[in-house]
Amino acid sequence: MAKRSEQDRIELVYGTLDMLILRTLRWGPTHGHGIAKSIERMSEDALKVEHGSLYPALQRLQQEGWITAEWGVSKNNQRAKYYQLTESGRRKLRAETSRWERFVRAISGVLKPAESEKTS
Amino acid sequence: MTWKRQFARFRALFARQKPSDDLGEEFRAHLAMEEQDNLEAGMSPDEAHYAALRRFGNVTLAEEGSTEMWKWLWFEQLIQDVRYGLGQLRRKPGYTAVAVLTLALGIGANTAIFSLIDAVRLRMLPVEKPDELLLVERYNPRWGEASTSFTNTLWEQVRDQQDVFSGAFAWSSDKLDLARGGAVHPANTVWVSGGFFNTLGLRPAAGRLIAASDDQRGCPAVAVLSYGFWQDHYGGAASAIGSTLSLNDHPFEVIGVAPSGFFGMDVGEKFDAAAPICATAIIDGEKTRLDHRSWWWLSVAGRVKPGLSRSQLSARLKVLSPSILTAAVPHDWSADGQQNFVKQFLVADSAATGLSSLRRQFDEPLQVLMGVVGLVLLIACANIASLMLARAAARHKEIAVRQALGASRGRLIRQLLTECLMLSLLGALLGVLFARWGTALLVRYISTARNTVFLDLSLDGRVLGFTIAIAALTAILFGLLPALRSTSVSLTSAMKGSQALEVDRPARFRSRRWIVATQVALSMVLLVAAGLLLRSFAKLATLDIGFDRNNVLMVMADLKTAKIAPEQQLATYDEIERRLSALPGVVSVGRSVMTPLSGGAWNNSIHTDWSKALTGDDVLAWFNFVSPGFLGTLHMTLLAGRNFNSGDTKASPAVAIVNQTLARRFFPGLNPIGKTFRIEDHADKLGAPVEVVGIVRDAKYESLRVEIHPTALFPAAQVPDHSSTETFELRSAIPPSALVGPAQAAVASVNKQIPLQFHTLAELANDSMVQERLLALLSGFFGALALLLAMIGLYGTLSYQVTQRRTEFGVRMALGAGAGSILRLVLGNLIAVLAAGLGAGVLISLAATRVLQQMLFGLGPRDAVTMIAAGGVLSIVALIAGYIPARRATKVDPMVALRYE
Repeated sequence: MAKRSEQDRIELVYGTLDMLILRTLRWGPTHGHGIAKSIERMSEDALKVEHGSLYPALQRLQQEGWITAEWGVSKNNQRAKYYQLTESGRRKLRAETSRWERFVRAISGVLKPAESEKTS
Repeated sequence: MTWKRQFARFRALFARQKPSDDLGEEFRAHLAMEEQDNLEAGMSPDEAHYAALRRFGNVTLAEEGSTEMWKWLWFEQLIQDVRYGLGQLRRKPGYTAVAVLTLALGIGANTAIFSLIDAVRLRMLPVEKPDELLLVERYNPRWGEASTSFTNTLWEQVRDQQDVFSGAFAWSSDKLDLARGGAVHPANTVWVSGGFFNTLGLRPAAGRLIAASDDQRGCPAVAVLSYGFWQDHYGGAASAIGSTLSLNDHPFEVIGVAPSGFFGMDVGEKFDAAAPICATAIIDGEKTRLDHRSWWWLSVAGRVKPGLSRSQLSARLKVLSPSILTAAVPHDWSADGQQNFVKQFLVADSAATGLSSLRRQFDEPLQVLMGVVGLVLLIACANIASLMLARAAARHKEIAVRQALGASRGRLIRQLLTECLMLSLLGALLGVLFARWGTALLVRYISTARNTVFLDLSLDGRVLGFTIAIAALTAILFGLLPALRSTSVSLTSAMKGSQALEVDRPARFRSRRWIVATQVALSMVLLVAAGLLLRSFAKLATLDIGFDRNNVLMVMADLKTAKIAPEQQLATYDEIERRLSALPGVVSVGRSVMTPLSGGAWNNSIHTDWSKALTGDDVLAWFNFVSPGFLGTLHMTLLAGRNFNSGDTKASPAVAIVNQTLARRFFPGLNPIGKTFRIEDHADKLGAPVEVVGIVRDAKYESLRVEIHPTALFPAAQVPDHSSTETFELRSAIPPSALVGPAQAAVASVNKQIPLQFHTLAELANDSMVQERLLALLSGFFGALALLLAMIGLYGTLSYQVTQRRTEFGVRMALGAGAGSILRLVLGNLIAVLAAGLGAGVLISLAATRVLQQMLFGLGPRDAVTMIAAGGVLSIVALIAGYIPARRATKVDPMVALRYE
């Protein structure tokens, strides 16, 4: 696993963790450790997620009814809780994704000219 | 937060397996997997283990974060706060006791008055679907007024012609005598139509209830007992059914018992027995009220047909009105009167809360009292707020420490408010006890000698809700300011532990000064209101009523119920009067047909040659028939002419003694003696001339409050036949109540069958001031309470201020300031606050006391004497309260004070 320096890691914007979890679960049910690993993989280690901080988010998503949980057995014969996306979770993910995209477009629209001024 | 999450939390609160049990296992699985990954990446077992833990982060935080979501955090914090608050309250028992007691008085007073208002006007009748019940009224477009009273003829027309009610019924409250002769045992009897119980949807507790078949002309005398009467007089025995109840010496067969909890349609009374309307004929004899077209004795109500809207119903009633009214027109009225009569129309009003004369009488006083107790509660709030501010200063360090340890300001405010809420709920709890006791006392208080008030005061949801709501509101009122202020602390100065909190002090004093000024202003308003009501009552109580109310026993005798023939009545009355005068202790005896100050009135239009210009009610005169002994016994002054004597008989010419008001109005500028007037009989016909033989000084007639009427007295010997009861007035040399036994024996020696009622004239006078007395007593009490609270508040504030500024005073004195200048400094502050409060109080009073206008007697709502007196009393009390701490300020030893720094 390639290590980056701490400064390069991006702190998560509040609320985006939910979106990342939902996104991870789009490919099928998985357990907490699996979710943590795939977030790391997807962001190429740029996102710093303390694994522990995943669990409060998982509970919250369950309460909202976006994911469900069930005990299962992992590939190493380890008992683990598997999380699965619900239909309303899917809808939420779609809504969040498009909202995020709008947000990113808006921010980059603001930032670009400033950057070009600096560089010129 | 969505409801789904709330529900999940709610479930988790009770779930046997808490989410946290699962979490441990889940975490362990996670760590094992991470460790496995690390091992596969080539770490040593130890390294792999610690790396996994590091990567996971804070386990406890993750667990708390995950489980917190499942709980009602606020609920747990609330329990925490309550526990902490209890500790705080216990630690300062004196402070807690004072606060709780003050609140209990304030909240209790509010609950007491509100539960009276609830019982008198808000409470629904305990019958089936009370909101469907409508009261039928006669609306007179000419006067713009509605009347709720009906004649039997009119009621029968309504019953037979209406098609808007699924059931209609009529009723009338009466007092009948249970005893057969001698002292009267009154039974509250309600005459009911056949549809009464059925339409109300009531089921009998025993036997059967009065039905339509019981209410036919010529019906047998049957009666239904109230549940309470059945319990009290028959011990709830089944044998009561079929037994005989004597009412006004007529036997009524008991056919059943009404359900418990039903006290009748009239709020403020409870009935003992109910009998069908047709049975009045048995009591009345020949002159039955059943066919009397101007005997207004019934109330009428109905249950609206399902699906009929109120506007449809009103429209239909209006259409039906002409035919109903035409069929019931009083034949003996003048043509004009009859025309007016048929122009009336029927309207309907909600009857869900029953009917009550109490409502008319006590509506306004109760509203005023509600305002008064509201003010008392505000003053109590102000007191506790300043108490809390002082305490907040003492808890300064505690708050600062908690803030330093990371408690948010919101959390601290919530905690302080929880403490306040606990105080006020404790106060409310005690207050409800006070209120139960207080309302029972008040109900006894508004009961008069002749009319016992009964109110259903069982605690209902509305009263409890009201109490809880004002307790919560009170907590916020007195707690919010201190909480806000005490949590805005500067940590460093607090931690330094110095007394010189230079930054905070001016603000802290300013808010306390505001509170004290508000308190003074509110107290001023309350004192002015109390002063007005007290002075008004005093004026009424010491009013010159034209006769001497003390040491007079009134004996009301009913010869008709004793079945004494009309032609023998005069002789019987004369005989009783003679025997009563012979009793030891009796100075003199008189008798009259109308009982003075009893609320009853007999009036009619009279005409003289000089009264042609008079119109409307100005032609009315009030009448009484009195024996020759009447004027002397009541100490009424004959100003001119002669008293009645034995020469005035039925056969002799009609004569009258008139009062000054009558003489002035009907014989302007003339000497009326020897002149005559005529009484307008039925239908515009004038009676025979009556000669005026004497003038008596003006005196009150039916009530103390009512202006003196033009009054004419006629000889008792000339009374028309239909009078059946007369009252004997006994001037007594011994306490009048001691005469009751001998008087009863004396009457019995003439005829044992005669029912008698005994009252003293003073009692009757008091009864006609019941409303004023109630207002004066309660507002006086609350005024004194407010004064006491204001005094405590002022004293507390000033003491605190003096303690806080001790160092400053010490320095001033060390620099040569005398005791006088320190005293002036402290009192000057007080006087400024006092002046501001008084000024505001006067302004509010001027605006607010107008609502008292109707309740005042003999003075206006802006009475200057009352204002000045109230201001004076308040100032004196304030200065006394302020002088003690001010004196203490001058006793400060500069050396001791300075050593503190």
